[in-house]
Amino acid sequence: MNLIHRFQELKTDKRFASYYGVFLLLFLAFLFWSIFRILSPENFGSLNNMSYYFQSSIIYSVGACGFYFIVIMGLFDFSIGANVVLSSIVGVVLSKHFGYAGLLIGCLVCGALIGFINGFLYVRLKIPSMIVTVGLMLIYESLAYFVAQGQKQTLDPALRGFAKAPGNILLALIVFVLAGLILKYTKIGTYCYAIGSNERMAENMGINVNRYKILGFVLLHFFVGVMAILAVSYGTSMTAVTGMSSMARNFTPLMGCFFGVAFRKYCSPVIAIIIGEMIISIIFNGFVALGAPTTIQNVITGAALLIIVASTARAPRGAVVK
Amino acid sequence: MAEIILEAQNVSKAFGITQAVNKVSLTFNKGEIRGLIGENGSGKSTFVSMLCGIYPLDEGKFILEGKELNIKNQVEANLNGISIIVQEMGTLSGLTVAENIFLGHESKFVQYGIKNTAAMNREAERLLNEYGFYHINATSMVDHYTFEDRKLIEVVKATYFNPKILVIDETTTALSQHGREELYKHMKRIKEEGNTVIFISHDLSEVIEHCDTISVLRDGELIDTVKSSEVTEDDLKLLMVGRELGSKYYRTDYGEPISHEVVLSVENVSIPGQIENISFNLHKGEILGFGGLSDCGMHELGKAIFGAVYNREGQVMLADGTNIDSIPVAIKNNMAYTSKDRDNESLVSNETIRNNICLPSVSDLAERGMLWSKKLKQFAEKFANMMSVRMANIDQFVFELSGGNKQKVVLARWLGKDSDIIILDSPTRGIDVKVKADIYALMDDLRRKGKSIIMISEEIQELLGMSDRIIIMKDGKISAEFMRDPELSEEDLIKTMI
Amino acid sequence: MLEPTLQEDIKQKEDKHSFSDFMPKYGINALLPPLGLIAIIVIFSILTNMRIVEANSINLILSQVYVLMIACVGVFMVMTVGGIDFSQGSILGLSSIVVSYLSFYNIPLAILAGIVTGACIGAVNGFFHVKFRIPSFIVTICTMYLFRGLCAYFTTDSPVAAVISITKYNVTWIKVLLTVLVLVAAYIVFNFTKFGITLKAIGAGEKGALFSGVRVELMKFLVFVIAGAITGFAAFLNVIKVGSITATAGSQLETQILIALVLGGFPISGGAKVRFYNIIIGTLIYCILNNGLVMLGYDSYVQQLIKGIIFVIVVALTIDRRTGQVIK
Repeated sequence: MNLIHRFQELKTDKRFASYYGVFLLLFLAFLFWSIFRILSPENFGSLNNMSYYFQSSIIYSVGACGFYFIVIMGLFDFSIGANVVLSSIVGVVLSKHFGYAGLLIGCLVCGALIGFINGFLYVRLKIPSMIVTVGLMLIYESLAYFVAQGQKQTLDPALRGFAKAPGNILLALIVFVLAGLILKYTKIGTYCYAIGSNERMAENMGINVNRYKILGFVLLHFFVGVMAILAVSYGTSMTAVTGMSSMARNFTPLMGCFFGVAFRKYCSPVIAIIIGEMIISIIFNGFVALGAPTTIQNVITGAALLIIVASTARAPRGAVVK
Repeated sequence: MAEIILEAQNVSKAFGITQAVNKVSLTFNKGEIRGLIGENGSGKSTFVSMLCGIYPLDEGKFILEGKELNIKNQVEANLNGISIIVQEMGTLSGLTVAENIFLGHESKFVQYGIKNTAAMNREAERLLNEYGFYHINATSMVDHYTFEDRKLIEVVKATYFNPKILVIDETTTALSQHGREELYKHMKRIKEEGNTVIFISHDLSEVIEHCDTISVLRDGELIDTVKSSEVTEDDLKLLMVGRELGSKYYRTDYGEPISHEVVLSVENVSIPGQIENISFNLHKGEILGFGGLSDCGMHELGKAIFGAVYNREGQVMLADGTNIDSIPVAIKNNMAYTSKDRDNESLVSNETIRNNICLPSVSDLAERGMLWSKKLKQFAEKFANMMSVRMANIDQFVFELSGGNKQKVVLARWLGKDSDIIILDSPTRGIDVKVKADIYALMDDLRRKGKSIIMISEEIQELLGMSDRIIIMKDGKISAEFMRDPELSEEDLIKTMI
Repeated sequence: MLEPTLQEDIKQKEDKHSFSDFMPKYGINALLPPLGLIAIIVIFSILTNMRIVEANSINLILSQVYVLMIACVGVFMVMTVGGIDFSQGSILGLSSIVVSYLSFYNIPLAILAGIVTGACIGAVNGFFHVKFRIPSFIVTICTMYLFRGLCAYFTTDSPVAAVISITKYNVTWIKVLLTVLVLVAAYIVFNFTKFGITLKAIGAGEKGALFSGVRVELMKFLVFVIAGAITGFAAFLNVIKVGSITATAGSQLETQILIALVLGGFPISGGAKVRFYNIIIGTLIYCILNNGLVMLGYDSYVQQLIKGIIFVIVVALTIDRRTGQVIK
């Protein structure tokens, strides 16, 4: 009993707690790596592979960092995938005239603009964020199709600097550092947590809740703009498809975000997100290495997120959960 | 010599049809500790809330140091030198101690948008040490600390910038003796620095001991302001309550024996962290009152007996041996419960009066699984009329009713269920005198019909007036038990509560 | 500080003006959906030069209505308690596959199996939502993915075909009969049984319902199971129409349901103001809108754009802000 008590006490010590969190995550990553490595040593787990897994995971980590800002306020957004499509198409179109500058500005500005629209409508119309972003998703998908004129938008090979190291890692790193700084060293971080904790009280303390909610959406979609840059660079092209197919892209960033939320007490959420997405990437690629059909991937995704959430993001007993 | 620092002129506020504060005019001096007392619903909380920017005024104004006060929220109040320590939780979970202390005032530490967290933490740590709260760490999450420690953090938050006016709103009830001593220390310090404290408390002896002057509110109006050195508790009580409450208000009988028949037996009931080893019996036709400070655990006990607490230990048993472990079981066995949180627990506010009255009785009303709306309507109307609910029609939504009428709807539903054991938690809270009298009459009526009532209340007069027996709780345990007696006084009860 | 009642009053006073402040009291708000239906029929009649009310077109519209309307019934109940179900499409897909497989043996068995499949998926939803207290939108997004993956897996090599003779059931009177049966049964249960009344109570105030003796956890679990079962039944109607199931069977059904209910005036947070006709009117408006847009020859992306805009506008107009935002 004594040992357990001491452990519990240690957990509350801030420094130890942060080591504990990171350690746990790294342990999980190692665990999954080992499992798949043992099961399929030829196809999985070499250093090259790992580098590949990591580089594919950072797209989602970037999105997840953005997602984090609104999730901690209790909000949600279904239009992330649609943003990726729309912003990347805008970026590619602009890149045809302005090269890298076009790509970057196109994706980022489009992203931020979408964020602003989402936040503004949410605040003004007072519709639950989940619902209003479903409608907006439909609209953005259509706009993406319109901008692309139905054509597949291919990124010029000369502009694919962000498709591989060091370009992609650098870009992602900038996002991670930015997210971490904002959370820890600006009012935005504190106020987002405050709003998520008790909105009424936050408002009473003079916090302009609406302003920070809009800001949260802008930040989210700005980071998703970065995600768009990476996505179109990796994929070399983007096709706008309607019919809510963009919903598929919402999923993996969401999972990473939940890692951040769950491990918030223990370490910097950004780190939790990065390692978390890596774990997910390991699992995915592990199954691929095992020869599992791609359809099973979705099954895994769904099951994995369910399990992650069930173990980490539960509401306390007695709370009303809808 | 006394210099006026704050003047309230004809301040008023109404909520819906309730006039909470009615043209109150008061002056406060520098270097004064002013007690503000009154019964529940007297308007004292609303009054100070307006001062602190929590609610806007309907009418009137506050004049601080000669200038009219124009504030929209707490932070602006702070900037004007006014701060408040609230009754409930005033710190935000998920933030650190330092973040909580400086919430809304981070601009001191912000340069070009970057918040100097290290500097903020250092300053917070310095303040905590200055206050002598060495066990509280500036960088820890506020969630790690107990309610009392979080209150102490609020003390720092509310006083570190030397406010001109500090309002303490019923904070002491939640604090241990040690916590209170800390608070009194700071009140004295503020007074000595020439600033003002407005101290709200139900504990009259505490108020007399630590305040220079005392203002009494009743029904939203100012009754009088007196010097604490010149009054006794009884004087204050008279001012608070006004006219002698007519003997017809509460029960008039004394000396009626309680039946020996036990209808409910509660044995060793505990809720970890809240109540411990509560045991008692409820007799047929008895009104058993529970009293104590608001956090003594009696409210949780009420829920526990009704089966609403999932981690309850111990046993709650009916005369026939049935164990009450969940709400459906309790209701099925003719138990009823009205909560202190009327709008969220006793009622489904967004539903019609009709559905609210019928809901617990729905199984009984169903004919082979079907519920006919005519039958439901008749049922609901019958009991709504029995309680004289003032409504437009039975399909009106409950949230549109006044507090008193809402409570009548709550009681109507249990009358409809014909419950035998009724647990009433704060049944007359926030209700006007006329409806209160109706409810007391109903309780007496039920008692005579052989129904048994557990009444949990923070209003001592009510307990004295209505109960056959009174059990006082303190810190989660039973502290004392009293039998109904015309000689029983408030002091007797209060002594065992604190 | 202040008791809850007074705080409620304050909140009402201080909420800024929003769209629904301009809406007249509840009574007229209820007229909006039927008016909307009439309006949309009129608008499209004009725009398509009356083509939309020709027999062919009406048949086409109706043929899309059945599955959607039945599926809406289940989700309607889920949303009445304030939850949401994003897995409906996957339920339809998987149940359709089951129905198709078994159609070779015995039709009634196939129908039953479809219902059971749906109920099982619903049970998974309900279980995780209730036992682990995870918000329903997260649970159902996960199960949507999970079971969509299963659908894709079963149709990897080829679409799953039902027995050819099953299309003989694809006649209007059967489809209308089945749909009406479901609607009537649901209507009776929803409005005249203990189940229905307690569902509304949970949606209107979960805590209050709890203290009134409602078995909230059980009800919430059941409602997901029922929603799944009803859609599982709709799978039969789906199979008789399409004959064989592909990987994307039923995809987007959940969003179609959401849009249809919203267009029907369903208050998004559920509770006491839900009305059964939300389902009927909403589905009709949605299908007319869909077909009308197709008939007008717009590209599919333009259709989606218009649907998205209408959706946002209608939700903004019909949301009951008094109920408060339990979903933020």
